[in-house]
Amino acid sequence: MNPALRFLSRRVWLVTLAALIVLVIVNWILQPNLMTPNVIKSNLTVFLPVALAAIGQTYVILAGDIDLSVGTTAALVNVVTVTVITALGADLDAVLVGMAAGVGVGIACGLFNGVLVALLRFQAIVTTFATGILFGALALLVMPTAGGSVPAIYWRSYSGALLGIPVIYWIYAAALLVVALIAARPFIKHVAAVGGHRAAAFQTGLRTARVRIGAYVLCGLFSAFAALCLTGETASGDPLLGRTLALSSILAVVVGGTALAGGKGSAFGSVLGALVIGMIGNVVFFAKPPFEYQTLIQGLITLAALAGGVFIARRQDSRGRGLA
Amino acid sequence: MAPLLDISAVAKRFGAVTALSDGALRVEAGEIHALLGANGSGKSTLCKIIAGTVARDSGRVHLDGAEVALSDPRSAERLGIGLFYQELSLVPQLTVADNIFLGDERTGRGGFLSGRRKREDAATLLARVAAVAGPGLTPDALVGRLSADQRQLVEILKVLSRRHRLIIFDEATAALDRRQVEVFFEILRKLRADGVSIIFISHRMDEIFAIADRITVLRNGATAATFVTSETNRTEVVHAMVGETAIRERVEHAKPASAGKPLVTLKNATSRRLHDVTLTLGEGEILGLGGLQGQGQSTLLQGLFGALPFARGTIEIDGAPHAIRSPATAIRHGFAYVSGDRGRDAALHGRSIFENLAPAAIVRERRFVFWPRQLRPRFEAAVKALNTRYASLEAPIGSLSGGNQQKVFIARWLATGSRVLLLDDPAKGIDLAAKADFFALIRGLAAEGVGIIFYASEDAELLSLCDRILVFNSGRISAELSGPTLTSFHLTHAAYGEAA
Amino acid sequence: MSRTRAVLSNPLVLAALSVLALLGIGEILSPGFAQGNQVTRLLTVSALLGIVAAGQCLVVIGGREGIDLSVGAMISLGAVLAGNVMSGANGAIVPAFLVASGATFLIGIVNGLGVTLLRIPPLVMTLGMMGVVQGGLTVITRGIPSGNAAPALSSFVNQPFLLGLPGILYVWALVALVMWFLLRRTELGFAIYAIGSNERAAILAGLPVRLVRILLYGLSGFFAGITGVLVIGYTGNSFVSVGDQYVLPSVIAVVIGGVSLAGGTGNYFGAMLGAIALTLLTSVLTTLELEFWGRQLIFGSVLLLLMLLYGRSRQLRV
Repeated sequence: MNPALRFLSRRVWLVTLAALIVLVIVNWILQPNLMTPNVIKSNLTVFLPVALAAIGQTYVILAGDIDLSVGTTAALVNVVTVTVITALGADLDAVLVGMAAGVGVGIACGLFNGVLVALLRFQAIVTTFATGILFGALALLVMPTAGGSVPAIYWRSYSGALLGIPVIYWIYAAALLVVALIAARPFIKHVAAVGGHRAAAFQTGLRTARVRIGAYVLCGLFSAFAALCLTGETASGDPLLGRTLALSSILAVVVGGTALAGGKGSAFGSVLGALVIGMIGNVVFFAKPPFEYQTLIQGLITLAALAGGVFIARRQDSRGRGLA
Repeated sequence: MAPLLDISAVAKRFGAVTALSDGALRVEAGEIHALLGANGSGKSTLCKIIAGTVARDSGRVHLDGAEVALSDPRSAERLGIGLFYQELSLVPQLTVADNIFLGDERTGRGGFLSGRRKREDAATLLARVAAVAGPGLTPDALVGRLSADQRQLVEILKVLSRRHRLIIFDEATAALDRRQVEVFFEILRKLRADGVSIIFISHRMDEIFAIADRITVLRNGATAATFVTSETNRTEVVHAMVGETAIRERVEHAKPASAGKPLVTLKNATSRRLHDVTLTLGEGEILGLGGLQGQGQSTLLQGLFGALPFARGTIEIDGAPHAIRSPATAIRHGFAYVSGDRGRDAALHGRSIFENLAPAAIVRERRFVFWPRQLRPRFEAAVKALNTRYASLEAPIGSLSGGNQQKVFIARWLATGSRVLLLDDPAKGIDLAAKADFFALIRGLAAEGVGIIFYASEDAELLSLCDRILVFNSGRISAELSGPTLTSFHLTHAAYGEAA
Repeated sequence: MSRTRAVLSNPLVLAALSVLALLGIGEILSPGFAQGNQVTRLLTVSALLGIVAAGQCLVVIGGREGIDLSVGAMISLGAVLAGNVMSGANGAIVPAFLVASGATFLIGIVNGLGVTLLRIPPLVMTLGMMGVVQGGLTVITRGIPSGNAAPALSSFVNQPFLLGLPGILYVWALVALVMWFLLRRTELGFAIYAIGSNERAAILAGLPVRLVRILLYGLSGFFAGITGVLVIGYTGNSFVSVGDQYVLPSVIAVVIGGVSLAGGTGNYFGAMLGAIALTLLTSVLTTLELEFWGRQLIFGSVLLLLMLLYGRSRQLRV
């Protein structure tokens, strides 16, 4: 492999960043008002939930597992938050308690997944598929049909500004800060080791089950954040919220350069991946293909990005594999 | 003053196999203590017990005069005991520095990772091997991209970084060249001067005599003798390993070496763990592969079978060159491969005995549709020829004992009339009665003209069965034994890299 | 004693017992539940699920976390293609079958290529493919229901065809026969079990592991396409999301039937019983007037319970 390729294969997020820049330029040509503050803000508002869910998904995938329940976890968080806020009288205190309850639900969902997968040794894929169904059912139990509403203070703050800067930018900044903090803890090395070579991690004396559960809990936490943002956007409760969140978060993670096999990648890349996926949607929309082709084109690009992401991420550790 | 480590009467059984019956070892503070023994003598088990990865059944382990439990790797680690794993504890996706400090990360204020401390400490450690590190061994290099010897150096540095009181180096020099070994020995001497104790295992006798203060020899799961290196010699040590009674166990000599005409000729085979191996297998010959475990014997067999194709080298079958790059090709040339690791390499878990017999026939005879009625008589004949005890061919494979399972995996090939049998430690974990049946079968096949290459981790199996033995050391053939040199003395000598 | 226990812990016996139990419960809750006509109707619904489950069954047996989540979209595609090819003409039924199953077979092959050559996990690959096929459907239909079934097909699926049973049951029986022959009498079927049971051993035995896995996904597509044609016969016309309701049940039916998600074990008869049991369960839950969430809760719990019974990963010791 030549040095340039090697350089890139260790920094796949650079490829993602380059793709993002190209997409922004193309989008700008197709939509001249792209670079106005309002359009930027509305785009980033749309991308935010996927970016948050993708951050959480990154830790699980890095640890060699996967979480298909993030969508229904978000739905459950949303309906619990809305229900609690409504029950407590819809003032500021109620909003804070409701949000805390939502975060608690997200953590509980992550913990449940982690215990099943890491301690009881269930297969990650089917288990989180099944728990996803359960969380969805619970969301329907809490709130059978879409409805309810959050007080204006919730969605006004979400779409408003703080110190002259839109709140959602603060959320991006806070999310990236959390990502940076986690990336600076020994935990992240343990997650990568557990996902990269579980036997080696065990021999080294790492507590592999604890690390994997930790990753699932983080994923539940970030799904909850994503749900709270969606709630700010829709201002209501919806038990079917976030249906596509599982797939799009996995997609963002892969496009962001994290190997699905585990052991390699970064949450920062996943945020870029989420932006890329959002921009692909934008570009397809503004390129104005016949309307009926839009989903197909988007599906094809998604699949191609998925295949490309998996392929690039795997090139680097392909050596020394004999059988299977 | 009590020794640092004092082990006595330690025993461990794995199922029906006794790995260790009476292990004893005393290691003083600041001593380099070599552990020696033929294959299956129990030295690996003893090391794993010390490092806490295997729990002992009985016996006493004292550290600094106090009894210790050593129930898991973490508790051994806390007591200051470190074990060098052969490649097993490195994560390919992480960098050299991250691997070295995995689980023991360099942190700064608030418990956050300190990149500066990590790089500095890694650089300090790497400086100790800098002269022999080779290109690309930097703190930021990915371990997955390093060569085998570099990975071994990283593993050594990883153990060194933990500041243990007792370190077990199990074959830590296997992938290193002479200069790298010298640098490693410098490090060991420095550790010894600092009061660290070292248990050293190597398949090279000259290394042991170059570095060890004392030598403990294990034989058949029990400690046989302990020598002070400066007061003994190699012959004495080898005799202790072999035992006085076991000078020659071979009962019968089937035929002189290389009786039949050449069946398979391999020239200059080279791959990741194999260097320039050339050999010829005659019709009806049983060719043994000897040496300590992991010296390239399995790699050679898997290479011949196309499962791990050689990087270079030619294979001739009946004098004509053939490329064998997949098991399917090898099978159609009449090759058969029987692995000792049945569960991993052969067993179709949860399937019937019939289905476990069928693959070779289906592949070799290109049967796209098959009727069990047609195949059953052949399979039954093959299984019966091996004295296999089974209820019916429809019973699940898991209902058979290990020995009977292995007979099924051999019958799989016999039913198709294979001409070349590649046996990769096939009798591993099989009880004695089944072993006897099994060896009788191998002899019978050889008498019918089948060529057999036989690797066994137990020397006694090789000596009782083979017409000729090629001894492997570090991926090369270090000696060829036949006729009068087919003795355990010569075999042990050659396995440790000594001219016999 | 231990023999009784062995028989009872056999997934096939369990599935059969739960079918009988559910029939009994249904009859108690709503007399007439287990009567002839009603049973025929339940079997017709089970047949649709059972035929998709044939493909799902193959993919799961093939191991390496095999699963096909694109079957729903492929059923819709099969239905839409068949509906447009037939557009109500009896003469075009055979071409409709060929076009629908051929197209979905090829899509399945693409799934297989992604899974084997690019090594994309099956779940992710087939989810991605689901999006593509749904996009393709939008192109074909422009989002509105299109195509309709030939009258002969509708009556074949819904009306008594032979011996008082609708034709779809004979199709299902044929599928069962084909599946039995494929799995028990052909190299392909043999290899499917082998790669699912122990891929390394299958390679060392010389079996064409990649080719087999690619074909598996192709066959899953094929069966989804067939189901699509029968679905349009059942409902009369087709729409873009007609197949979505089969994705989850097809996986659960296979698991109820004792096909281990770890791969390498199980057979199609189990999956058939699983399809019947699941249809009955849904029907009983509907009789109970349990809401959607209650059904989902039960589905999810059943799946987790089955995982506990037979789905623990085998290889992990750390």
